[in-house]
Amino acid sequence: MAEIAQRLKRRWLELALVSALLLALGVLFETTGLTLGDVISKRFLGATLRLSVPIAFAALGGIFAEKSGVINIGLEGHLIIAAFASIAGVILTGSVWAGFLAGVLASTLFAVLFAVVCIEFQADQVIAGLAIWLVALGLGPFLSTVLYGSVNTPQTGSFQAIAIPGLASLPVIGALFDVTPPVYLLYVAVIGCWYVLNHTAFGRWVNASGENPQALDTAGIDVTRVRYVSVILSGVLAGIGGAGYALSIGQFTGSGETMIGGRGFIAVVAYLLGNYNPIGAFLSTTLFAGLQTLQIQLQTGVLPASLVQTVPYITVIVVLAAVGHTRTPAAAGEHYESGDE
Amino acid sequence: MTDSRWRALLQRIVYASTFERVVISLAALLLSILVGGVLILVSGRLTTCPTAAATYLGVGFCYDPITVFDRLFFGALGDPMNPLFRPFAGEFAPPFRAGWSPFNSEMAVTLRETAVLIFTGLSVAVAFRADVFNIGTQGQLVVGAITSAVSLTALGPVAPSGIAGSLLLIPAGLLAGAIAGGLYGAIPGALKAYADANEVITTIMLNFVAAKVALFLVSGPLQRADSQIAQTEPIPAAASIPSVLFDARTGFSLVALAVAVCTALACYYLLNHTTLGYELRTSGLQAAAARYAGVKTDRTIVGSLVLSGALGGLGGAIYVMMIVGDFQTGVPSYGFDGITVAILAGSNPLGVLLAAPLFGIIQSGSIVIDTTTNVPPQLVDVLRGLIVLFVAMPEFFRQFGRRFFEDDGGEIDG
Amino acid sequence: MTTAVQLDGITKRFPGVLANDDVDLTVEQGTVHALLGENGAGKTTLMNILYGLYEPTDGRIVVDGDERSFESPRAAIDAGIGMIHQHFMLVEPMTVAENVTLGAEPRKWGGLAVDADAAVREVAALSEQYGLDVDPTAPVETLSVGVQQRTEILKALYRGADVLILDEPTAVLTPQEVEELLSIFDHLTDQGKTIIFITHKLGEAMAAADDITVLRDGQTIGSIAADDTSREALAEMMVGREVLLEIERPPVETGSTLLTVKNVSTPSQRGVPAVSDVSFSAHAGEIFGIAGVDGNGQRELIELLTGLSTPASGSIVFDGEVITHASRRERIERGIAYVPEDRHAQGLVMPFDLVENGLLGNQRTSSFANAGRIDWAACKEHASSIIEEYDVRPPNPSASAESLSGGNQQKFIVGRELARDPTLLIATHPTRGVDIGSTEFIHEQLLALREAGVAVVLVSSKLDEVRGLSDRMAVMHDGMFVDTVDPDAVTEEELGLLMAGEHPTGGEQ
Repeated sequence: MAEIAQRLKRRWLELALVSALLLALGVLFETTGLTLGDVISKRFLGATLRLSVPIAFAALGGIFAEKSGVINIGLEGHLIIAAFASIAGVILTGSVWAGFLAGVLASTLFAVLFAVVCIEFQADQVIAGLAIWLVALGLGPFLSTVLYGSVNTPQTGSFQAIAIPGLASLPVIGALFDVTPPVYLLYVAVIGCWYVLNHTAFGRWVNASGENPQALDTAGIDVTRVRYVSVILSGVLAGIGGAGYALSIGQFTGSGETMIGGRGFIAVVAYLLGNYNPIGAFLSTTLFAGLQTLQIQLQTGVLPASLVQTVPYITVIVVLAAVGHTRTPAAAGEHYESGDE
Repeated sequence: MTDSRWRALLQRIVYASTFERVVISLAALLLSILVGGVLILVSGRLTTCPTAAATYLGVGFCYDPITVFDRLFFGALGDPMNPLFRPFAGEFAPPFRAGWSPFNSEMAVTLRETAVLIFTGLSVAVAFRADVFNIGTQGQLVVGAITSAVSLTALGPVAPSGIAGSLLLIPAGLLAGAIAGGLYGAIPGALKAYADANEVITTIMLNFVAAKVALFLVSGPLQRADSQIAQTEPIPAAASIPSVLFDARTGFSLVALAVAVCTALACYYLLNHTTLGYELRTSGLQAAAARYAGVKTDRTIVGSLVLSGALGGLGGAIYVMMIVGDFQTGVPSYGFDGITVAILAGSNPLGVLLAAPLFGIIQSGSIVIDTTTNVPPQLVDVLRGLIVLFVAMPEFFRQFGRRFFEDDGGEIDG
Repeated sequence: MTTAVQLDGITKRFPGVLANDDVDLTVEQGTVHALLGENGAGKTTLMNILYGLYEPTDGRIVVDGDERSFESPRAAIDAGIGMIHQHFMLVEPMTVAENVTLGAEPRKWGGLAVDADAAVREVAALSEQYGLDVDPTAPVETLSVGVQQRTEILKALYRGADVLILDEPTAVLTPQEVEELLSIFDHLTDQGKTIIFITHKLGEAMAAADDITVLRDGQTIGSIAADDTSREALAEMMVGREVLLEIERPPVETGSTLLTVKNVSTPSQRGVPAVSDVSFSAHAGEIFGIAGVDGNGQRELIELLTGLSTPASGSIVFDGEVITHASRRERIERGIAYVPEDRHAQGLVMPFDLVENGLLGNQRTSSFANAGRIDWAACKEHASSIIEEYDVRPPNPSASAESLSGGNQQKFIVGRELARDPTLLIATHPTRGVDIGSTEFIHEQLLALREAGVAVVLVSSKLDEVRGLSDRMAVMHDGMFVDTVDPDAVTEEELGLLMAGEHPTGGEQ
């Protein structure tokens, strides 16, 4: 009976999810005079891809960390620090790419710190992840004020879209080929992560490390090393996301929840919804990014902006409730210690 | 006492869990201050200034960590120390500065922040004890605050004036805040209990939702009639919690602090001396054992988040009725500080009574830093994160401590 | 004959515990060697040392004539040693081939990709060679325990193991699966492999091994050829004193029917029935046993009886009243006591002290809680009286549950449940992981309850225990009661078939 109830509940939630989305979209179209043509357009797709960068890269990073058994709930912190460091890097060097590298480096350093705290010092992963977020949430605006006198940095140079001749002129999907370098990197990363996880020995080890670390250990692979590499990789990927996002805008804004505004937490939901599959995570990211695009375009509409802004957050909650029982890696969140040392 | 008995005592002290908690919390705090100090020095090299604030090892720095921490801690207390009191130099002047009064305005701000932080700290701590990570205290506080403000404005015209009005309105305002916060906490509770939705994510999302909806309300339907900024109508004068001994302009009330302390004691009693508290702790530690004992763990999860939300909502009501006198956007991040307070307190309500004043000092001191130094007050937000980070890794301090004790301790197996 | 493994004077000290004290072991190549001893005798520690998981505090390891020291399992694996742990080291969602090759994956494209086809081919060939009959492409989580165990054996063989260590390999198998395992041992030793298996079951050691080494309290008691010893002699070596292998069950007048279960069914997590159409009754003054291999629906059935879940269909009547949908709380109040299967997760809250643990399940009883307020003085008295009456050591009510040994934890739980003065006691695996002294004590308690007119439902995977204690006994397989038998009349062979879901005589229901 519990099983039937569970299945009924799941059906019910899925149904509720779909109808809620349809209803929300219907209301939006009805009240704003937006047409389907506005959504199925190059402009909409392009904006969605740009907004996908932070969420999708953070989600890819989160997949590696959690699959290896370390829940990285501090992805938000990696995004924030990468966003700030990349802008500071551009201001310092004048080069967008140097700024990009600075952002990735900063996020990676945070990941090293997080890995040491969780793996070496056996910290509670959720609390440590929250701490990483809180530190970044303080450090970004603090350093911005130290360097530029305000929690918001000055405007800098940013990434420009590169159109691939021919492909970019295709109707609608041409937008896929007229994007900034971070979006092209995202295409490569999604495929690359999928390949690594499913077709390489390292991918197998990551999987085993999160499911049954002892099995991996007794097979002669160093679980600690696999987890370190995975967590640091999550920092690199989230760093690309944070830097790529900030550099497509050309400014770091640090007031309130900063410009990242919870995208790191949305990333966690994106990979849960994508069932830890990089391609699935990317597709669910486009759902959230699409909603954010819609929300930005609607701010000119009749509905008050602040209410429209809640739509992506509420969607995240509804989605999480519907997929809540995703099978998480069996040993995720648990410290593992080999032998008797 | 023989050597072995000393050693046994030492071991008992070192490994006793409560004592260990306190030591680890203090060590984490110290380490955060050290790291914060380094950060101040480094930042002081990154920025530019006409004259160096400090010179260490021949290098000039724009910021001086010693000044910063002096302002942070002593500034927040209204500078109680007598500069002539230098016990280490053998000078024993009276320790307190002449003219220093404990009822000074910096002290008032410190205690004001403490009162709200006790509520948010308890909110996070109570949920933690049920193994629920309520990161949503901030949102619950906002919802409680706005509900309290709106209810009081509505009740104002019908309430009697004077003391009778206060006796009616103040409890009503607190109740409205608690109920609203509790209901808002019930949402992630129900989602976790019945749809298995991770409460860390849902509560963070609900923080955003609360902030946005509050912004919509106070800049639209509930905006004060003639106001340019986003704020509600002021609450009736009788609903302001009266200040005692302290200057009313500081926005601090001893009455509110007393309510906060009593709430902490009540939470302690609830957790340790009642069936409900026992069931909550049991299901937080081992859900299977709780079910075995006949506890409905789903309900416990919802109940703990309702209680947690109600405490956050109470904090919001106190914030409105003691500090601002209406609801406006830009609520300070009491909820996030509550996480730090709870973690520093080891989720123990009595510990919250120690950790909250500490954070009250830090918050109040950040205002002093802002007015008396050129160091950005966001420093305090970094410290908040560092403290959580360091408290989260007790093993670091244990390894450190073990090495320290084993050097002269010989055989302590471990 | 050559010596495959020789351990000389192995000592292993853990904080506060001397797990192995100067242990010697010699294993000849191509033989099956049993390492026999009680729980906590140091058998597993010794083998973990040989496998490189622990470093010995002192002693010498000689493999194939060379002295070795293994810093990690990898080093042991390289020296041809493989270990199959009691809890399988398998990654459930992965396939057999992926598990077998984990950490030693065949590669292609210059190492950039795993050669999945080669892995399947190699594992299939190995399975064939040793008669293991395992499908390399099946996900491990879909396999029976017996097949998972063979996957573990494949894993060791794939890594070139010549010496296989098996830790309590028969604990989770049906008698028939045990037979199969023993024939696999023959296959393996025929091809020159050496087998060391850890067990606490005398009969198995006698049946399967060529030689037996007995450990007790971390010390070697002696090594002996299986043909030259007897069960009684081995038992005395294990325990250090003469033990009664039989349980005395005096005749008791059976009273009225206390529990009637009719046609209850419940689905499992995976959708297949976990309990299907089970009916039975238990009477006052009777122990009703439920035997079977673990994982055949016993846990789910007990959850239905104790109120941790409710059945999809069927009814449960207790003491004349229908309790099919009564809550766990209500059942506690009606006098149903429960000694749960997992004392670490369910029966005790490990960080709580014994005072707080004594309150578990009683937290709403008026003698301990008044109007929602807990009377800690009464709780402390309660815990102290359990400690005294049931000889829980150390006799300190403020000791945390996690600081107690398994036997003392279990005695405390039994004491707490019996202090409720129950009408019905449900006990699942009450002596699992408990030392022989505490086991005897718990058995006595169960028999005393029976004499006092309490109905007892006993689930155990220990055949000797459930047969010795029960007045009537059901055998459970695949969620069903295959048959209810007289424990004194049924033979071991019949039981084995019943546990595998077959009727020895065919005809009856």
